[in-house]
Amino acid sequence: MTNSQLRLTRRKTPILLLLLLFPFLAVAQKKITGQVTDAETNNPVFKAAVMIKGTQKGTYTDEKGRYSIDAPAGSTLLITSMEYEQSELPVGDNATINVTLKPKVSGLNEVVVIGYGTVKKKDLTGAIASLKGADLKTEGVSNIGRSLQGKLPGVTVESAGGDPGAGVRILIRGVGTLNNANPLYLVDGVQVANINNIAPGDIESMDVLKDASAAAIYGSRAANGVVLVTTRNGKAGKPVFNFRTNLGAQKLAKKYEVLNAQEWATVSNAAHDAGNGGAGLPRLDIAANPAALGAGTDWQDAIYRTAPIQQYYLSVSGGSDYSRYSVSGEYTDQRGIVDMTGYKRYGVRAKTESTKGIIKFGQTFLATREKWNQMSTGWGGQGGNAVGSAMKMIPVYKIYDSSAIGGYSGASGSVVNIPNPVALLHLEDVSYELTSFLANAYAEVALRPYLKYRFNLGYTTSFGTTDDYTRRHEVGNLFIQPTNDMSRVQERNQLVLLENTLNFNKDYGKHSIQALVGYSYQKTRYNYNRMAKTNLPDGIKELDAASGTATVGGNSIESVLLSTLGRVIYAYDNRYLLTASFRRDGSSRFASSNRYGNFPSVAVGWNINNEHFWNVDPKTISSLKLRASYGILGNQEIGDYQYSAAIASNINYVIGDAQQKWFGAIQTAYSSPNIKWENTATTNVGVDISFLKGALNASFDYFYKKTTDVLLNVPIPGSAGSSTSPVVNAGTIQNKGFELGMNYTNHIGVLNYNVYGTLSAVRNKVIELGTGTQQIFGGQPTHHGASSTLTEAGGEVTGFYLIKAEGIFQSQDEINAYKDKNGNLIQPYARPGDIRFLDANGDGIISSADRVHMGSPFPKFEYGIGFNLSAYHFDLNVYMQGVSGNKIYNGVRQDMEGMNLEYNYAKTTLQAWTPEHHTNMPRAVIDDPNLNSQTSSRFLESGSYFRMKTLQLGYTLPESVNATLHTNSLRAYISADNLFTVTKYSGFNPDLGRTGTILDRGVDYGHVAYPLARVLSAGIQLSF
Amino acid sequence: MKKLQYILLAGVLLASCSKSSLELTNPNQITSETYWRNEDDVKSALAATYALFKNVDGGFWGVRGIELSNGRGDDFFIRNDVSYLYQLSTFTNTPDNSASTNVWNIAYRAIFRANQIMANIDKVSGLSDAAKSAYMAEAKFLRGLNEYILVINFGDVPLRTTIPASTAEYFVPKSPATEVWAQVIKDFTEAAAGLPLSYDASNTGRATKGAALGFLGKSYVYTKDWANAEATLKQLTAAPYTYQLMTNYGDNFVAAHDNNVESLFEIQLADVGGTNPWAGENANESLGVTTAQEFAPAEASGWFEVAPTDKLFNEFQNEKTTSGDFDPRMYATLFWNYPGATFYQKPFSAYTLPFGFKSYYKKYQNYTQANELTGSSGASDYQSDINEKALRYADVLLLLAESVTMQGRPQDAYTYVTAIRNRAGLPALTAGLDQTAMMKEIRHQRFLEFAREGQRFYDLQRWGLLKEEITNSDKVGKLYFVTPKHDFFPIPQDEVNSNPQMKQNSNW
Repeated sequence: MTNSQLRLTRRKTPILLLLLLFPFLAVAQKKITGQVTDAETNNPVFKAAVMIKGTQKGTYTDEKGRYSIDAPAGSTLLITSMEYEQSELPVGDNATINVTLKPKVSGLNEVVVIGYGTVKKKDLTGAIASLKGADLKTEGVSNIGRSLQGKLPGVTVESAGGDPGAGVRILIRGVGTLNNANPLYLVDGVQVANINNIAPGDIESMDVLKDASAAAIYGSRAANGVVLVTTRNGKAGKPVFNFRTNLGAQKLAKKYEVLNAQEWATVSNAAHDAGNGGAGLPRLDIAANPAALGAGTDWQDAIYRTAPIQQYYLSVSGGSDYSRYSVSGEYTDQRGIVDMTGYKRYGVRAKTESTKGIIKFGQTFLATREKWNQMSTGWGGQGGNAVGSAMKMIPVYKIYDSSAIGGYSGASGSVVNIPNPVALLHLEDVSYELTSFLANAYAEVALRPYLKYRFNLGYTTSFGTTDDYTRRHEVGNLFIQPTNDMSRVQERNQLVLLENTLNFNKDYGKHSIQALVGYSYQKTRYNYNRMAKTNLPDGIKELDAASGTATVGGNSIESVLLSTLGRVIYAYDNRYLLTASFRRDGSSRFASSNRYGNFPSVAVGWNINNEHFWNVDPKTISSLKLRASYGILGNQEIGDYQYSAAIASNINYVIGDAQQKWFGAIQTAYSSPNIKWENTATTNVGVDISFLKGALNASFDYFYKKTTDVLLNVPIPGSAGSSTSPVVNAGTIQNKGFELGMNYTNHIGVLNYNVYGTLSAVRNKVIELGTGTQQIFGGQPTHHGASSTLTEAGGEVTGFYLIKAEGIFQSQDEINAYKDKNGNLIQPYARPGDIRFLDANGDGIISSADRVHMGSPFPKFEYGIGFNLSAYHFDLNVYMQGVSGNKIYNGVRQDMEGMNLEYNYAKTTLQAWTPEHHTNMPRAVIDDPNLNSQTSSRFLESGSYFRMKTLQLGYTLPESVNATLHTNSLRAYISADNLFTVTKYSGFNPDLGRTGTILDRGVDYGHVAYPLARVLSAGIQLSF
Repeated sequence: MKKLQYILLAGVLLASCSKSSLELTNPNQITSETYWRNEDDVKSALAATYALFKNVDGGFWGVRGIELSNGRGDDFFIRNDVSYLYQLSTFTNTPDNSASTNVWNIAYRAIFRANQIMANIDKVSGLSDAAKSAYMAEAKFLRGLNEYILVINFGDVPLRTTIPASTAEYFVPKSPATEVWAQVIKDFTEAAAGLPLSYDASNTGRATKGAALGFLGKSYVYTKDWANAEATLKQLTAAPYTYQLMTNYGDNFVAAHDNNVESLFEIQLADVGGTNPWAGENANESLGVTTAQEFAPAEASGWFEVAPTDKLFNEFQNEKTTSGDFDPRMYATLFWNYPGATFYQKPFSAYTLPFGFKSYYKKYQNYTQANELTGSSGASDYQSDINEKALRYADVLLLLAESVTMQGRPQDAYTYVTAIRNRAGLPALTAGLDQTAMMKEIRHQRFLEFAREGQRFYDLQRWGLLKEEITNSDKVGKLYFVTPKHDFFPIPQDEVNSNPQMKQNSNW
């Protein structure tokens, strides 16, 4: 018995012993020895399994790749190893059989993109979540960000609205800042604002750098994590064409139940009769006769529609040994479920890479044109956009009025200014057209085989034009505009990136060193111009034709980042891994004394399964790696020029007998001369483990992230007289959490299946903030409502702090019994049917001082589960995702169940409390003296949900048919997105889709919503 | 090969940019280090300070300010549309009320700006001592008037007479109202000493010596320093001052008679500048106010946000003119159903009265136009050009009458009260009124004279009559009025939240 045989698992030992007795019984045994080596590096392969095919007999290679086994003549040796393709060799006359194994391109050898380079998964020390383009192929959705939802542990993807072309909000490992918490996005190494315009088919891989060690090479911009998108390139060989199309229909997933005309009039009359302390306030004229009103107008039906979506994508790729290319074009046309809204995108992309001798040259070019037809944000008043107005518009009013200018009817009389949502959609055209270019070129020179110099030049530019044209109208008597007016906003963003890097990569025996040094210069520039004119002739949408007043304005912003960077990745014997990196950034956003920031990191990894003492059978645990890292990242996401005290101009007044404009200018806000980088120190420990010969993979990470010197617009007292709050380094926030990702692949007969899941949890805590007692209130839930969240030291970021609603007063006795310590009534204006609020501070009155912590907008954990099944050419892909434990403040419901303002109410108000009929819905009273409708826990709901996100059934043509059709592959599928959602949340969508500041998280602000669509689609994926 | 490497090395060096590229200056704005060079900078700074009086969100004479200063009066109703306005008018407001928060913030912004002028005036080159002291006086007037706005609305408030030198100085505790009044009086006194009597035609609208004296006198009235009030206000009735009542009362409230002989200080408003009332402090902001549009009836394309109570409507009818007609101030203040009544070129029958009250406000409305949609620039921007009269000579006369009456000399009040009554065409006042009767007459005249001018609630407050008069009215929400709680607004919740030195008003 050899040493290696001894190291086989104990469980198998009796069987092996039995096997080892067999030679004495069997015939013609022969001793075979040999060495197993890596086909690429010629290094010995340690612990490769050498088996006699068809038997249980086998051994493992030693450290030098050598093995020795007794094999019968004519048998076959089967050599397998986790990281290599398996190999079979017949046992012939030779007593020595040397084997070379080709490395597998998946699994542990899979290349993971890290900043300024790549690393094999087995050498990775940082926390990186990766997704291959192949994993995206089953998605029927139009947006790349959305297909990430729930798939990467620790990466929270929230929709940024249900409107067509809306992107996503990605948060990596929670909220570590109170500023912009968006990660850094890089496409082929070039920073971009977002990745919404990248076609899913163009994606080769997406790698999300989560911990400091992985992201530190990006220094100051990486504190919120880094998303690296690598676009596809061709492979050597004949051209391959790929064609994909997806056609679908979208429909409103959930309608908000509101009152019809007759019901509304009944509730409204009851509310007026109860007003003025019971003496009554005059009823509205339009509600005079409820019975005669019937159902009235269903404003939601009037604006929603079933909307088609179509996507086409064509790419060709190929190349030779020296050059590779990939070129693609795409077109997306998505109409919105709200009438008149839509999104179109055209894109082309080309990527090439050529090598000659020591020189390599490559480039990526990406051009897209996107156009959004948006909703008007509203015409003032309190309706907000068409979605908000459709809920609040009183159903008594009619849609059309052919005699009115513009052709629409609308609200009139003593009601709240809610515009007719149909008029809002048809009388104001808002379009945003964005043309974006990304160009990146690099030249790489192999100065030595192990030393490469690379010069990278990146450039992005985008031109955005927002046109807003409002037709003259008279919509009821609350919305009147006598002229056709137009405004045009033109914006331009530019980024220039210059990078010089030197890459060293060499193995010295068991030592492997990959080192990088570099220098980078990045400049961004933004221009804004706005022009507007009034009084255009009907039907004309160019400014020259306007005869009215013109207004123009413009400004620009620049910033520069200068950086030096370096990194060493060292591996010893595939067992011990060390990564250390350093970046020094200089930013124009800070004054010269605080301009530079240093961002170091270090990480270690240990591939335990490569240790000599490791004697676990690969069939049980095939690989095990421990990782740990620590590093510091920066954040400079504040506005430019904050350190200087700017003079704001055009604060004008009127002067003189002629009443002319008097130009005004002064410093309106305090400057922040001493601001410096925000720093985030992250400690990460992780385990990567594979079981069952790699069939089951799991990855677990725990992290502790501490952000110090948080850059913050600290609200300073209004009495300080500043018109905005200055940015200061004012806080410390910590985030702790864990992430787990698992993936299992196997088959039962012809059924192949793959199950994957992610689970993550993050907790944040504010350690210090501002002046110590600093409180930041946020999350305004309604047009005029009081804030709902509070951020302060000792608490969490934007916890819900609300006056606590404690049910309904059922009788005057209950009201009279609710007294403070002096015997005074706490709620003197309450009547039976009003809400009892908790006097938390015991001062005898209900006020905002009674707010108490009522929950968090952050989930306790988030999860995703997916299955891919395939058999007999059919495949079924199911993906479900959810969050648990968070709260949502339902601002929509606060408006719709308030019964204190003159607009339509939620259906639930039919159940309002009356002396005869006691319910949980407070009584209808229009002047609301008890403030039942104030911001309180009454409107806080559970935000947990579980969503069937994707369900897709596909059919792939058999190989035999491909030959006939001259295709490589052809797959057709039908798909359903957002099929159902299990939630207790009563609003449109628990995945709120609000793009506000981080302080608005978890607040459903009905004004600006665009509800989620359910999408049914069918598509074809063809390769030839 | 070596050569290529050198070329590449050169490329690396060229591509490396120097540290100076991190030194960027804001291309849009100059900084305070380069400002305050010449007299124009001072004037621009003044404009930016005056401009806050009309600020749409919280300027005391902007639309929300007018709603706030009038909304709590027994002569005023605000409809249930913008909830925070409805709440303040019905005494159900809370410390996070947007209107009171914004009035607070805007007043302090103006104080910050006025303080900047005082702090930087020495840096300005080429200023004569006389010019410098006039600018200092103007800045003090602006600071004083904003402190005045704060103290009458909030009572005890923080005092700010300097620019914070460090972040620690952002946080200032409340000073008792008496100390605030002392600072108001000091600022107005110093302003009156340094301000000119008048300006040339191109500078009309800036604060004059008369304006400062008028507000100084009014401050003495608020602090019940009757002797000083009398002495101060009395100066305004004689040379060099030439103030007099407009013959036609209603002329005070139309754009054609802006900056007239009755006006001591008014907020300059015109539809110049940009076309957006809500643009914020930038070039797009139109420089009138939207108040007239918000107050106009729906039939004149208004938003009918407010209505006069019937208490005011009835009070006007207590006394007829010598010719047996309604008080001309009633015609100028209200629009109601009388023969020949015309409003926005339409008869009374064209209008509905949506709240059950008998009239609309006509004062400060552009009622000769067809509607309130279009400003004088021609843009449909809801702008009104009518200057808000912050201090009229009629106020000086009635405050003077009150000052002498409260010193036990009601007989000396006759000349002032009679001037007011005569202009209104009312018969001669009964002779021999005692202090109580004269005060009653003065209160009655102030009620009529200043309806919709933001005086009523503050007058009732200083007279201690809020509870009585509000109870005795048809004001919506009167049952929720609690004194002294509602005498002043609470300290804004934002201020309490962000200022560790701040304590809420104990009545709230």
